[in-house]
Amino acid sequence: MEFEPKIVAFLCNWCSYTGADLAGTSRMKYSPSLRIIRVMCSGRICPTFIFKAFQEGADGVLVCGCHPGDCHYNEGNYKCLRRFKLIEKYIRQMGIEPDRIRLAWISASEGKLFAELANEMTQTIKNLGPSTIKAQLEQMV
Amino acid sequence: MEEIRIGVYICWCGTNIAKNVDVERVAAEAGKLQGVVVARDYKYMCSDPGQDLMVKDIQEMNLNRIVVAACSPRIHEITFRKALEKAGLNPYLFQMANIREQVSWVHDDREKATQKAIDLVTGAVKRVRWQEALNKRSVKVNPATLVIGGGIAGLTAAREIARTGRIVFLVEKEKSLGGMMKKINRTFPNLDEASKYLNPIIEEVSSHPHIQVYLNSQLVKLSGYVGNFIGTVNHKETQSELEFGNIIVATGLKPFKPTPLSNYAYKRLPNIITSVEFEEMLSKGYIRLDSRQEPKHVAIIHCVGSRNPDFLPYCSRTCCQTALKFANQIKDLLPKAHVYQIYADMRSMSKGCEEMYSKTAKRGVMFLMYDQKGKLPYIREAGKNEKTRLVIEMKELLSGEQVEVTADLVILMVGMEAQETSKQLSQVLGISRCSNNFYIEKHPKLDPVATTTDGVFIVGSCQAPKEISDSASQAKAAAARVLAMINKDWVEVEVITSSVREEICCGCQICVHVCPYGAIEFLKEKKVSCVNEVICKGCGTCASACPTGAIGSRHFTEKQILAQIEGVMLQLLEV
Repeated sequence: MEFEPKIVAFLCNWCSYTGADLAGTSRMKYSPSLRIIRVMCSGRICPTFIFKAFQEGADGVLVCGCHPGDCHYNEGNYKCLRRFKLIEKYIRQMGIEPDRIRLAWISASEGKLFAELANEMTQTIKNLGPSTIKAQLEQMV
Repeated sequence: MEEIRIGVYICWCGTNIAKNVDVERVAAEAGKLQGVVVARDYKYMCSDPGQDLMVKDIQEMNLNRIVVAACSPRIHEITFRKALEKAGLNPYLFQMANIREQVSWVHDDREKATQKAIDLVTGAVKRVRWQEALNKRSVKVNPATLVIGGGIAGLTAAREIARTGRIVFLVEKEKSLGGMMKKINRTFPNLDEASKYLNPIIEEVSSHPHIQVYLNSQLVKLSGYVGNFIGTVNHKETQSELEFGNIIVATGLKPFKPTPLSNYAYKRLPNIITSVEFEEMLSKGYIRLDSRQEPKHVAIIHCVGSRNPDFLPYCSRTCCQTALKFANQIKDLLPKAHVYQIYADMRSMSKGCEEMYSKTAKRGVMFLMYDQKGKLPYIREAGKNEKTRLVIEMKELLSGEQVEVTADLVILMVGMEAQETSKQLSQVLGISRCSNNFYIEKHPKLDPVATTTDGVFIVGSCQAPKEISDSASQAKAAAARVLAMINKDWVEVEVITSSVREEICCGCQICVHVCPYGAIEFLKEKKVSCVNEVICKGCGTCASACPTGAIGSRHFTEKQILAQIEGVMLQLLEV
């Protein structure tokens, strides 16, 4: 059976979640791999959330926020970007391929872009294969 | 601790969800989850019987947490929260799983869609267990209103509000009021003088004791929230700080510049003008060429920039009617002139405008159709022996023939686009723009003048190109919304703010520095941080920066989100 990845996606309420909704109202078909979790701002996304997703068996994590300058809370997306840079370094040390996480800016009007992003990321993860982090952690215990 | 008793409701949304998701199976799987007392599926959860079903269950089964899997929470979260309140339950003990926009509308594979729906519902069930009752906060509403834009929409809104005795600040970036309408000579379909309608409104607004007009001014900064905004208005070298409870955005649009469409030879050949320039000419009371002679042949080319994927992909909505109006005005002023309508599709859809179309056709106006998706009409300079100076080469679609239209004067019906300032202002106001840079309404059908930011309304052409009557309707609708809020005197504001658990706060003050609103203060005596909940907007940036987990954002706590992650990843079903 073909590997069907599970990607946990954290979307900010104002731009990206609305963009994902637009993909829905426009009936754009995309891969069913994403599991979207809504937060008010991408600035709320804590490294813990990303590690938790991998720990629970996610094959990838997607983080989406408003475009630079468009953040509903002025600058939460910049803070998200800075944290993301650190997380990228950190997951490498944990043995997770950096391509398993992705940060993208999706505005409320970019439903099409969101659908394309979902497909693109799913393909990247399919190429990488399933994440082994959950199994490794379970062995350690 | 109270026993958690969860009710789960899976909506079919008619066939919208049920077609691609096995709703019965989702309900059955949800029923197996810890804490779930009842799990049902129902045709329309948002309908009255759907809500009643939930209310009855809450009361009869002592449910204390509710999950509804249906459309996007952006649509019906408020509806269901109200149902919880009706049943005597705190509205924040509720979570939605979005299985329509995120599942049934985007996935065709029913098996995979059903599995994803189960995962999302599991996430919501796991999350809702940790959700806490929150109390809504009411704040007083400042009865003053800020109106941005002094065109017909902004003027109408300002006048409507001021007439009730409330204060309005009207901010206009140009040096005078009137906006786009001031450039219009006569209105369609009855060819009334636009100034006849506009001037009395400008006069009333300018002299109204309750309206303060700021010309040459722009809103550059905004803080606060619905009911209590503080804005900074730049006026040349000076700045004013204004306080108001609501904002009506009426910034309008601007005409498209046809220069990039080289086939129309605008500014390259003489006597080729835009529709806006023609309005100005009509306002002066004549139609004439650069040579001051009257034209004998006038061609009006439609859809210049509009409905063109390279420029404005949308219909600008008012040009067809305006073009028909022009034909009548030309025939009135120059009865002998030949008028050609070179159109792509005739969309004269406003009230009374189909009649204007029929009437115009009977006045000897020639209608020639071109293919918008094929080769556009091309304007060239005429040869010496031709009777006019300009020739339009085009393929006439109805006859299928290549024709040449002779013209002395060509009017380009230019499309309408969003203002250049729309991006800057959207950032100041915290509202979104669509892919064509117009502002996005809260709901396209059910809430067309509100935005997702409470207390900020959009009216007129800043939302999309529209005619005067539609702009006036929207302005009055928004004014009614604002006045209703002022009349009520208070408004409920979101309570998703941050709060500090003082016992584990280490006093590092990282939160103080990351807060974009300066809402967190360090209490020197206690050596802990403290959130000013009136200023806090609940973004949660502080919560993700706090090293000890002392500061948390309500309704988006770490526990709640981690539980949701666990839920969506829980492997309940194997494919």
